Amino acid sequence: MCKTAFMMQIILFIRKKEENMTILSTQDLKKVYGSGESEVHALDGVNFQVEKGEFVAVVGTSGSGKSTLLHMLGGLDRPTSGGVTVDGKEIFTLKDEELTIFRRRKIGFVFQNYNLVPVLNVYENILLPVQLDGGSPDQNYIKDIIDTLGLSSKLNNLPNNLSGGQQQRVAIARALASKPAIILADEPTGNLDSKTSQDVLSLLKVTGQKFSQTIVMITHNEAIAQMADRVIRIEDGRIA
Amino acid sequence: MNVSNRKTIRCLSIASFKAAKIRNIITVAAIALTTILFTVIFTVGMSMKYGFEQSNFRMVGGYAHGGFKYLTKEQFEELKDDPLIKEYGKRIFCGMPEKEPFHKSHVEVSYCDANTAKWMFVEPKEGRLPKEGTNEAATDLRVLSLLGVEPVIGNEFTMTFMVDGQETTETFTLCGYWDYDEITVANHVLIPESRTQEIFEKLGTQGKDGMTSFWNMDIMFKNTSHIEENLDTILARHGYQSEGLDQGDNYIRTGVNWGYMSAQFEDSLDITTIFALIAVMLLIIFTGYLIIYNIFQISVSNDVRFYGLLKTIGTTGRQIKRIISLQAFLLSALGIPIGLILGYGAGVLMTGIVVSQLNGIVLTYSVSPIIFLGAAAFSFVTVWLSCRKPRRMAAKISPVEAVRYTEGAGTKKKSRKGEKGASIFRMAMANLGRNKSKTVITVISMSFAVVILNITFILANGFDMDKYLKHVITDFIAADASYFQTGGPDLTSFPEESVSQIEALDGVKGGRTYQKTFAAQELVTEEWVRKLNGKYSSPEMVDRYVEMLEKVGDLRAERVQLYGMEDFVLDKLPVIEGDLSKLKEGGNYVAAVYSSDDYGNLHEDSHWAKLGDKVTIRYVEEYEYYNPETGEIYGEDEDLSDKRWQDRAKVYEDKVYEVAALVEVPGKICYRYYGADEFVMGADTFIRDSGTSDILYYAFDCEDDKVEQVEQWMQDFAGGDDSMYDYESRKTEEEEFYAFRDMFMMVGSGAALIVGMVGILNFVNAILTGIMARKREFAVLQSVGMTGKQLNRMLITEGMVFAGSSVVITLILTIVMGPLASDVLEGMFWFFSYHLTVTPILAVAPVFLLLGAVIPLCSYRYVAKRSVVERLREAE
Ligand SMILES: Nc1ncnc2c1ncn2[C@@H]1O[C@H](COP(=O)(O)OP(=O)(O)OP(=O)(O)O)[C@@H](O)[C@H]1O
Ligand SMILES: [Mg+2]
Repeated sequence: MCKTAFMMQIILFIRKKEENMTILSTQDLKKVYGSGESEVHALDGVNFQVEKGEFVAVVGTSGSGKSTLLHMLGGLDRPTSGGVTVDGKEIFTLKDEELTIFRRRKIGFVFQNYNLVPVLNVYENILLPVQLDGGSPDQNYIKDIIDTLGLSSKLNNLPNNLSGGQQQRVAIARALASKPAIILADEPTGNLDSKTSQDVLSLLKVTGQKFSQTIVMITHNEAIAQMADRVIRIEDGRIA
Repeated sequence: MNVSNRKTIRCLSIASFKAAKIRNIITVAAIALTTILFTVIFTVGMSMKYGFEQSNFRMVGGYAHGGFKYLTKEQFEELKDDPLIKEYGKRIFCGMPEKEPFHKSHVEVSYCDANTAKWMFVEPKEGRLPKEGTNEAATDLRVLSLLGVEPVIGNEFTMTFMVDGQETTETFTLCGYWDYDEITVANHVLIPESRTQEIFEKLGTQGKDGMTSFWNMDIMFKNTSHIEENLDTILARHGYQSEGLDQGDNYIRTGVNWGYMSAQFEDSLDITTIFALIAVMLLIIFTGYLIIYNIFQISVSNDVRFYGLLKTIGTTGRQIKRIISLQAFLLSALGIPIGLILGYGAGVLMTGIVVSQLNGIVLTYSVSPIIFLGAAAFSFVTVWLSCRKPRRMAAKISPVEAVRYTEGAGTKKKSRKGEKGASIFRMAMANLGRNKSKTVITVISMSFAVVILNITFILANGFDMDKYLKHVITDFIAADASYFQTGGPDLTSFPEESVSQIEALDGVKGGRTYQKTFAAQELVTEEWVRKLNGKYSSPEMVDRYVEMLEKVGDLRAERVQLYGMEDFVLDKLPVIEGDLSKLKEGGNYVAAVYSSDDYGNLHEDSHWAKLGDKVTIRYVEEYEYYNPETGEIYGEDEDLSDKRWQDRAKVYEDKVYEVAALVEVPGKICYRYYGADEFVMGADTFIRDSGTSDILYYAFDCEDDKVEQVEQWMQDFAGGDDSMYDYESRKTEEEEFYAFRDMFMMVGSGAALIVGMVGILNFVNAILTGIMARKREFAVLQSVGMTGKQLNRMLITEGMVFAGSSVVITLILTIVMGPLASDVLEGMFWFFSYHLTVTPILAVAPVFLLLGAVIPLCSYRYVAKRSVVERLREAE
């Protein structure tokens, strides 16, 4: 207990220090799908920054390029041109393998459709990114996340025996497990009812604050967007 | 169900069929391989059946179904158009030469039309059949060589032959000839019908013998069943009968080709062969089932969401079944023809290999439609069996479950213990556990091929040349060709000049064995005759047989087979009891011949004589024929064909011998024919008492450094196909052994190769589909930070576990089943010594492990062509 309190002190201190520091930025980010007639400019020169610890909501009509942007931010896909800098690092200069390793250390993804690994139980799914990195998990921290997300009783369950909300909470736990600096969430509440949406969102916000993480979240829901520190609007691949 | 509905199902079926391209390719390959296996079996089987029949037909001298004999021209014309007859051929018998050079051959001069010539295997290979109104004739190379005429079309030759008791000499111009076939009994000279009439007119032939100048009709019916009934039906329709002359003079003799009647291939199959055949068929079905079932099962598992969706929108279980059946039909329609074509080619190859190892079957390749229909039917049944369960599975899918379904996981299982988190290895194991039946079946399928390969090796390795050559007790044996081809009683003697020639060779030391089987009898108890014949015949037949034998006091005169052996050969005989020195000294001593089985176990009751027993041998010079009912003795020239008769020795000499030894006469130097009790005598005694000196064979050894030379000499002397003589040597026996072993090697490896391809295909399919179905999942893993390397490691582990377990299973199976296999195989082949070997398994193991690594890597590479995001976006 004493130790945790001490840690919190340090985290808070660092957080203060880092306030107003840019952790994530894009440079004239472009992504073109297809070619010729069927060419789609999913992203058409996107420039923006996210400060450390910020909670940013991204909104926009369907097909405007939100998911594409999020994938670029997390280094899941490479842009046609432009760049993304995470924590001072130009991520697309990295090779695929390095990028993957960078991603699993720095970024946690929460997908709209959960994307849990079906053969692994809840606990194994949560621990997966940490173990892929070869690290031994910080047991206290993991337990903390599990408790916060209310998953303690479900640890042995396989994903397809969980409700949508439960699965989404597992996905969030997984995103938090490796203590990433940034959490990227694509409509994390898209499949949930409003009550559960509120719960999940509060959790995200609380855990984000608790573990001092930067959050970029896509949503269609204006009310949810209002809970963010800042709202970015995307239209036809550009920031409006 | 209405029509448009049916059409929709067909559309759906074809749409999902097109979507599964890789599965289709693999399934077509699997069906083709299965069909290949069936086709090979059918081709070899049918070709052997056909070859067996052909050999019979050649022995009989033709393959016409049957015929009418000795017809008048009018009768012939009357009968030939009967609707039951599909085709007919005409033959008129003219005469037979009896004097030199034909005194030892059976040659018939006759007219044959094209049909009969074809059916009697006497179609000219060069030239053609004789033309009407000319002095042309066609014959075979044997007749020409006996006449000393060069086989050149246009050459003239002259023959003297008997026509219904009258001699005539005729000159012909050669217009065609064909090869002589040793199996056939008769040689033929074919002349035009016009020439036969000329000869008959010139000699005033009236057909007193009931044969000459009459017409024979050979007949082909639509099929081979009811040949005899058909012949009788035809006769009855025209007011004739085939019962006999005593039933009226409307008698016409019929003939049924016994090649179709007795000795059918099917009859010659014994129970073991039939069981073996059924076992092989079941194994092939099983092989095919393993892969085809697996493919469909995997395919259905992967498409569960699709079928679930169909269900949700109202497709019935039966319609879903129909979707899958339709796909199975389509795939069979592609795979089976490919398999039939490839399989027939492989079958032809195999037939060549197998038939070359069998005696009494001519090498022919059957093109019977049964091969293709049968193989196709079996293949189709295999496909149908294989997709039964997957079909039921698809039909039963509940729409709700389908939405949540991911391969194997969670449909039954709700949770999984494990607090340690996921290591790459444990994830791989969990993945293998997703679809357990897929994993198990794939492993079995791969193991299966290795087991076959290993058995083949154990078999081929176990063939023990020392055991095989156990029966070879002299370096060489030389004899008349018939001794080696058929064996049997009173064979053509091997000429003394030839023996002297061989004896004169450097380094050769040997001995003659003389033969006598006809006109020699032993006097034995009736009890023994009954015992001996009771093994093969029914009690009634034995009764009748015993009655036939002449009674001499309490004893019966039974046939006996005698050997007269020179010392060299005597010394080679395995002696069971007593000793052979008395035989060599030339007194009235014999050795009784016992037999043993191939394993060397003596048959205690294979002879009646014990050491010190006396046996009377009766050498018969002249028999007389008498009526057993009345005791009337028939005249020498009397025709006995429709009378009851029995024979007995009239002029003979009885000699009493003492049994000085009990011996065996090993297979390579015996009569190669079982007919009667056998005794061995010293050569001198034999010649003195039997009055014959016909040489059965000359057996000899050769100094080691001269073997090559002698072998070469014998090869030149007796090796050729046209030689009257033949020989066997240690070397030819060794070659025979190797050829036999190689046949097993080829057949076994061929089977292992194809089954192996099935196994590997199954493996490829399992891995490939496993990876394809998980593309999205891999993207998820990558999105949470699994690197490509880690992913590959996981997939390779999966592949290795597959490959590794099949190797381990095969090893265990081989070692555990070893003792059982040993007993079975040693029981099957007397020259087999079991040695456990796992070399093939160990040789295959690296290949399997390599495949276990390479196939997942390649499959993943294919998947990884598309980016993580693309795969994530993919609709589930
Ligand atoms: N792999 C791809 N190939 C071709 N076009 C693509 C691909 N991925 C995205 N697009 C196109 O890029 C555009 C942006 O897509 P994106 O998924 O980013 O939209 P979105 O804003 O997330 O929409 P939604 O709110 O519906 O999720 C769309 O027009 C889409 O059709
Ligand atoms: Mg989107």
